[in-house]
Amino acid sequence: MSLVASSSRHISGQRPLLQRLAMASEPYLYVAPALILIVAVMLVPLVLGLSYAFRDVRLLNPFSGGFVGLDHFRVLASDVAFARALKNTLLWAGASVSLQFTFGLILALLLDRPFRGRAIAQALVFLPWAVPSFLSGLNWAWMFNPVVGPLPHWAFALGLTSAPTNLLSDPTMAMWGPIIANVWWGIPFFAITLLAALQAIPRDLYEAASIDGANAVQRFLSITLPFLAPTIAITVLLRTVWIANFADLIIVMTNGGPADRTQIVASYIFTQAFRRLDFGYASAIAVVLLVLLMTYSLLIVLLRQSLLRRA
Amino acid sequence: MASIDIVGIRKAYGALQILHGIDLTIRDGEFIVLVGPSGCGKSTLLRMIAGLEDISAGEIRIDGRRVNDLPPRDRDIAMVFQSYALYPHMTVAENMSYSLRLRKTGREKIAAAIDGAASILGLNTLMERRPKALSGGQRQRVAMGRAIVRAPKAFLFDEPLSNLDARLREQMRGEIKKLHHSLSATSVYVTHDQIEAMTLADRIVALNGGVVQQVGTPLDLYDRPANLFVAGFIGSPAMNMIEGRYRSDRVSAWVELAEGLILPLHKTLQRAGIDEEEAADVEDGAAVTIGIRPEHIFLDPGVGGFEATVELIEPTGLGTILHLRLGGVSFKAFSLERSDAAIGDRLSVSLPPERLHAFDAADGVRLI
Repeated sequence: MSLVASSSRHISGQRPLLQRLAMASEPYLYVAPALILIVAVMLVPLVLGLSYAFRDVRLLNPFSGGFVGLDHFRVLASDVAFARALKNTLLWAGASVSLQFTFGLILALLLDRPFRGRAIAQALVFLPWAVPSFLSGLNWAWMFNPVVGPLPHWAFALGLTSAPTNLLSDPTMAMWGPIIANVWWGIPFFAITLLAALQAIPRDLYEAASIDGANAVQRFLSITLPFLAPTIAITVLLRTVWIANFADLIIVMTNGGPADRTQIVASYIFTQAFRRLDFGYASAIAVVLLVLLMTYSLLIVLLRQSLLRRA
Repeated sequence: MASIDIVGIRKAYGALQILHGIDLTIRDGEFIVLVGPSGCGKSTLLRMIAGLEDISAGEIRIDGRRVNDLPPRDRDIAMVFQSYALYPHMTVAENMSYSLRLRKTGREKIAAAIDGAASILGLNTLMERRPKALSGGQRQRVAMGRAIVRAPKAFLFDEPLSNLDARLREQMRGEIKKLHHSLSATSVYVTHDQIEAMTLADRIVALNGGVVQQVGTPLDLYDRPANLFVAGFIGSPAMNMIEGRYRSDRVSAWVELAEGLILPLHKTLQRAGIDEEEAADVEDGAAVTIGIRPEHIFLDPGVGGFEATVELIEPTGLGTILHLRLGGVSFKAFSLERSDAAIGDRLSVSLPPERLHAFDAADGVRLI
């Protein structure tokens, strides 16, 4: 590179200006397509979106659009609805991811050993992933509905509830409706990725461990888990970010209700932007969510790096 | 240390029979090598002793105790895998101490055990490394170290040297033999390499197609192979096999090779302790395969030799392999002498009768 640069400088004295310009811009022209693509597709929308957070953008107010500095964030700091949405997001993402992961891991472990009809079982396990989120949201909403769905009656018959009521209209329990739907819908993701990781573990390690005297639990803890750890870290990261941003099921099943009890930050953004049409405030919330998720991602990536270094 | 009894062991995967009834008694402290071509069932047999494969029929006893239904962890055996199967996320020390930690052995005892094993195997400076930072030979040593720290009842080796280069293989072979001398542990060693089998074994078990072909000391198998398979498998370069017809009259026995070549069998019969009278059991005119090892063919015997044509010369450094043709028969001769013969030369060779092996041409069983 430096050789080329020095030789071009050497002869630059004799070349016309246009040619020298072309030569100087040559490396930039090579990277231009990639740069233009990144700027157009990623940076411009991002910067526009970020800029809304510092402007007063309300669709119903034709005089809005002015710069308001950190005003949105000051309002946000004392917004009780936002604080509750933040808490709900923790429950929503935490419960959904941990349950999806637990059941996904169990399924992956079951599917990892050979049995008759394994191919069919695998296909069935992966089925929920193919169902559109809106459809599964509607489906579950109906299942929780005592008029058309069986679940309230089953819960009542088992003595879990005192009457066949709709879970989604109970302010203390409503959050669990979308969580259950989300767990059902998201298990396949963990099952697929963990199964792939499981199948990459050399079999003879298990044989060596069983000869060394390890029982099934010890083999799981000393071989399976260390091998899965990097995959677990990356899938949990992806799913947490995705689920924290994932409002489809909540919008379809409860629309944030009853009384904002199922409002998560993502659905709160949706409500602010498309119900109240306050794009500025919605953008400010989105920026806060972005910063939180980026911090979280950074921590997970660091964790994963340390796991990979050990392995 | 323990003895291992294998009684009528069979293994089948569905309709596919892998082992057809193996009987073998391994004595306490003995080094047994299971040898055979790939697919002969030797690894399967080893894995059945370890408890990694179910036993379809028969019984395995370790120290007199039936272990058919015991899981590997309760059999108190150690195994060295072909791939070494080291735990990649553990250091060398952790790999070696894993079995002891599972048995809740005391910290000091563990330290003493792995220190002992490490100094036997020369691993002391590598104890904090992970397997990926080790060379093939070092990994192999760690796998051995993992086996010896526990002082198990028996060691099982599943082609432990086949992933090493030739020089390292030779070196490790020596170390395994030394290790066996100092520990005198019951060992079962699987290999397809007949040199490993010959050099390591107290007794060799030659397997083919899931059937034991011969059990004996390395020199037994070399000197008196029980059948054509063992004859061809043991020894390098391989034994020459020549089709012929057994002839005898009341006075002597001989073999007619192709094109009227005649090999007298007189001394062969004497060596085998067979009276020429008894040898008449072999029907006059029976089809036989005559075997003779390349290193037993005399070159330039002077009188009484056959005239053979040199077809190819392979110098090995140690000696020379000559590819010869005699009448319609091709065979090899190995000589420690450096040969100055050239291709096309005619050499006088003799096939000493006492070095001849005769096998039934139909079923390959040794006749003489």
